[in-house]
Amino acid sequence: MNTSSFSSAPLPGKGVDTAKTFILPDKCFQKRVGCAWGRGNKFTIYPRSQTVSKTPSNTSQDKLLNIRQDILLFTPILRKLVNESNGTFLSLQKAAETAKVSDNQVEFLKLSRQFRSIIRVCIENLQEAASKEENGIEKNNILSHITIFYSIECIWHLCEILYIDNIPGDIVLPYLLEWVRFHFPCHEQTAAQLLEACERGSEEHKDYWDTVVGMVVQGRVDVARALLKLHSAGESNEFKLVDNSLRSMPVYSVYGGISTGEFTISWKHWQAECRSKLSSRVLASQPKLELIMRIIIGDYTAFESIRNKYSSWFDILGGWVMFTAPWSRRHELGGAAAACAGMQASPRSHLDDMVRALLEGDLHQVIHEIQQISDNGWFATHLTDILFHCGKLNIMDKQQTNVTSRLRESLILEYGCLLMEHKSLWSVGLSYLASCPPEGLRRAELILERMPVETEAKAMRIIAEAKKHGLIGVAQSVCRCMSARHLSAGRLGGALFWETLLLDTLPLLESDEAVFTSNDTYEIMLCLELRSSSLDSEKADLLRLALARNLARTALAEGDGTEEQAQ
Amino acid sequence: MPLDVQGTFVSQKINKIRWIAEDYVESKCFFTGSWDDEVNSVKVWSFESPHEEDEVDYPRALSEYPVEGDVTEIKFIDKNKIAVSLSNGDVKVLEVSVYDRQSPLREVFHFKKLHNYGEEPCSCTSLDTLEGDIATIGEDGNVNVLSGRRGEVMHSIKGADSCSLHSICFIKHNEVITGNIRGHMKIWDLKATNNKPAASFLLAGDELAATCIIHHPTQPHIILAGSESGSLAVWDLRMNSFPTSLVNAHSAGVSEMQFHPENPHKLLTCSASGELWDWNMEAMTKSSKGPDNQVTWMPLEDKKAMMVNSLIPALHKPINSLHCDKGRILCGADNEAVYLIKNFKY
Repeated sequence: MNTSSFSSAPLPGKGVDTAKTFILPDKCFQKRVGCAWGRGNKFTIYPRSQTVSKTPSNTSQDKLLNIRQDILLFTPILRKLVNESNGTFLSLQKAAETAKVSDNQVEFLKLSRQFRSIIRVCIENLQEAASKEENGIEKNNILSHITIFYSIECIWHLCEILYIDNIPGDIVLPYLLEWVRFHFPCHEQTAAQLLEACERGSEEHKDYWDTVVGMVVQGRVDVARALLKLHSAGESNEFKLVDNSLRSMPVYSVYGGISTGEFTISWKHWQAECRSKLSSRVLASQPKLELIMRIIIGDYTAFESIRNKYSSWFDILGGWVMFTAPWSRRHELGGAAAACAGMQASPRSHLDDMVRALLEGDLHQVIHEIQQISDNGWFATHLTDILFHCGKLNIMDKQQTNVTSRLRESLILEYGCLLMEHKSLWSVGLSYLASCPPEGLRRAELILERMPVETEAKAMRIIAEAKKHGLIGVAQSVCRCMSARHLSAGRLGGALFWETLLLDTLPLLESDEAVFTSNDTYEIMLCLELRSSSLDSEKADLLRLALARNLARTALAEGDGTEEQAQ
Repeated sequence: MPLDVQGTFVSQKINKIRWIAEDYVESKCFFTGSWDDEVNSVKVWSFESPHEEDEVDYPRALSEYPVEGDVTEIKFIDKNKIAVSLSNGDVKVLEVSVYDRQSPLREVFHFKKLHNYGEEPCSCTSLDTLEGDIATIGEDGNVNVLSGRRGEVMHSIKGADSCSLHSICFIKHNEVITGNIRGHMKIWDLKATNNKPAASFLLAGDELAATCIIHHPTQPHIILAGSESGSLAVWDLRMNSFPTSLVNAHSAGVSEMQFHPENPHKLLTCSASGELWDWNMEAMTKSSKGPDNQVTWMPLEDKKAMMVNSLIPALHKPINSLHCDKGRILCGADNEAVYLIKNFKY
């Protein structure tokens, strides 16, 4: 169902076979079937026999199958997401306009956060719906949507850190830690409980050590230290030694007045000290403290040994960067990702692939991956668009031509067309298509012309939108359609005021039998005089002549009629 | 306190929105009518704060009444009864329970195919109510006057217009003014039997629809009409048939107007361009006495006298409806959201 040039001809190396096979459920489809496209992503399948059947009873079993793609975004909860994000998308296009003349990075960041908050609201709505849903299958569906949007928010947040946010000195660690804490909170509650209780001998709690180690790995050094003090042996030398090591860890701050170089030196010095403490075997009696020390000196095997306590490698990514290369810049995280991901051989999830690609800086791969998410392209479209406007996308095809804007456009067009299928969301879809001229407007024209128009109110809306985007053809064809309806209802006045039919009256006026009554003729005359500017003078004169002649003969004919009646 | 705007997405394009007035307390519930969806409905909502300490109120749907076609207008007949016009040509009178807002709306009357092209359905585009009477208009160009109490059609003006009618307003008990798709305005004496308008005039020379008509709350001879072009026209019916003034206002069609119920100097308008404006009409309504002791209507040409505020940043989609209750304004829009504007000074 992909019609855009990008998806149907994938860029090199990224192509996958996305075709799905469905078995038609009925016997009548076993021989030959035909297929006809409807509007949008709909088609009808029908049995087609090429031989003329002599026994008509055969066909009684025949069925027509209407097939349409089930669109997640059209469910009521996600319609909120669609509408709200449309507003942000349009603000972003405006911001991009101003960004052409001045730097607008702050505005982009604001809009990126807005997108994320929209996703979070959507997740909350889904959670609320899940808690109310009693049907098991439905509930599972909603839960799977929650998973989808969780990973979307997670990826968006990381993208924001790596590409949109303005990071002082480009030192990514604090942001990375924040990302880990936010999306993979672990042991947080236990830590809070223990600190609240504030009792010595907290090691009785079964998760005590996991919590302490967890806090270290998440970079919450202060919390870890506070927890260590609650240990019944907290005053012992071993504990003091670890506490001291944690306390004295240099933390880089761009406003701290020292250069990255100086920081690197002092940090390495600190770690060397820790390493010597560890090798002095003073901690031999406290294996857990030893583990903490091994973690903070960035010992791979120590991280490896705790990896199985976490559901994913993202949990330890922040800690790994913190204790191996806290000066890492945004685009130097690929190695850390590889190290953490390699600590445990576990089946790679889709989220893994996306985060890996992102940390490696392969945005092309990221976009390719997020296109596989079953959110009908919402995420891929909006993320690509914002990255494009931030100037962070650079995607080359086989011939090394830059296809970035083509990629963005194809995603937006596809998303826009999808929305235009919906009875109510067409106007949202249109605003996406309109943001990609000229191709988007060409598509909009085709779709708008075929849109069912039940009322004048809708016709007026469509015409207003069409005119706004310069689609005069659409405006005219909708006018014509409304005129035809009025005409068939026998209401000439209504028909003529929809602009285009004025000249079309000419042949009717000249027909052998009078079509318009004298009253109708007056009406058309009035119309003509009010609208004479829309016709060139020659045509207008021709029409005036025809009107006068028609008026003459109808007036006579009607005059006769009334006289006859009077008699 | 500063103006507080709060939007809630409701998964339906909202065509009409109306506060449900309460006795003695601040109103909390409101009606919405949707349009342009597979299934449209009239819903009752209530503002509730999910957490006690929360300052923010979120609307929660209390009941839903599905309808055929689009909801084109909602007007009150009395405190708890509304007349609803639909694009399938029907008009319904619905009642919300006084004691339990949550209980489903009760259908009091149903006027089927009130507007039609014979067998073909035709949209009932709008209606107005006055003391229990309902005047409806449609694309068929007819005007019907219904009794909202007895549920019968009292009077019909067939072929009131050769074009479709788009706006209507009661001037007096026996007089309505209608506006058609080309901006032709006609005044109808409902007692007359000749099906001829008592007066007719043009909204503007641009042939665009009259999208809404209202009259001034304290000076009912002052009529305001909004145009599809976004401009606003004012007539003094005592004077002549030309608009006293025509102001270019919104950049797209005016969708609804309301004088503030407590302060007739305040006018609120919303538009297809997504704008919500508050007008200070004080200068306009201050009539002065001319030399012959005739009250003259202050012309709007003196634009400096017009104070216009934009109440919310323009939406990207049309705002279809607004309703004001004291310092709180409700808006319904095509971006499938409703907005509550609090702390509005009037």
